[in-house]
Amino acid sequence: MKYILMMNTMKAGQGVPGWPKKDLQAHVAFMRNFAKELRESGELALAEGLTFPDQAKLVRAGTDGMPITDGVFPEGKEFLAGFSLIDVDTPERAYAIAARASAAPGPGGAPLNMPIEVRPMASGPPPEML
Amino acid sequence: MKYILMMTGTKAGVDTYRAWSKSDVEVHFAHLKNLNRELSEAGELVANEPLAAPEQAKVVRAGKNGVPVTDGVFPEAKEFLLGYWIVDVDSPERAYEIAARLSAGPGPGGAPTNMPIEVRQIMSKRTSEPGV
Repeated sequence: MKYILMMNTMKAGQGVPGWPKKDLQAHVAFMRNFAKELRESGELALAEGLTFPDQAKLVRAGTDGMPITDGVFPEGKEFLAGFSLIDVDTPERAYAIAARASAAPGPGGAPLNMPIEVRPMASGPPPEML
Repeated sequence: MKYILMMTGTKAGVDTYRAWSKSDVEVHFAHLKNLNRELSEAGELVANEPLAAPEQAKVVRAGKNGVPVTDGVFPEAKEFLLGYWIVDVDSPERAYEIAARLSAGPGPGGAPTNMPIEVRQIMSKRTSEPGV
């Protein structure tokens, strides 16, 4: 069963968090080690980090089909910071992995306990696409 | 340069989509399928995944003991990721063009939905891991 784990932890306009450098490094090191562990157990399908919300654009097609680009988002919008695709045997295992990611270290090394959104992947394209 | 194109919607928006006629849905997916084929042939498509419906989403936090605390309640206005495309392109402008093609996907009666697509560059150097 494939699940996506989403870190929707960023806010509009946000760049690199203003944490001390060593705390940022410890956070990234945790994420890298965790990804390595999941890759070795055969559970990690894909892991991606996104650039920060200050670089996000919202694109719509204009009447002529040309892109209309906007960089203004509502204050309350959640931004995806990164995501992992995992392939596990049970939803419980997906939740256990999400809890590990949730406990990633933040400022001063304390666990962030950040919310991780967990959703199954659609098992294939909808029948309409085939 | 790798970019992610994110299609999002609220639960209410997803319900609106569910009320589309079968032929409108088919026309919409034919548009997406053609676009995917075109991007694949151009060597620009890295990954495309549809997600399960928002009703299946859970939010998970680590409890004090590290055990998962699972919740299925989200704010009404929350935007859920419905699907994403990762593209490898030469310029941001090309990423925006592809996003506009997605945005122009036909909706009810064949009129373009003009839905907003969020575009952001991918940070990771390595996009694809073995096992994908």
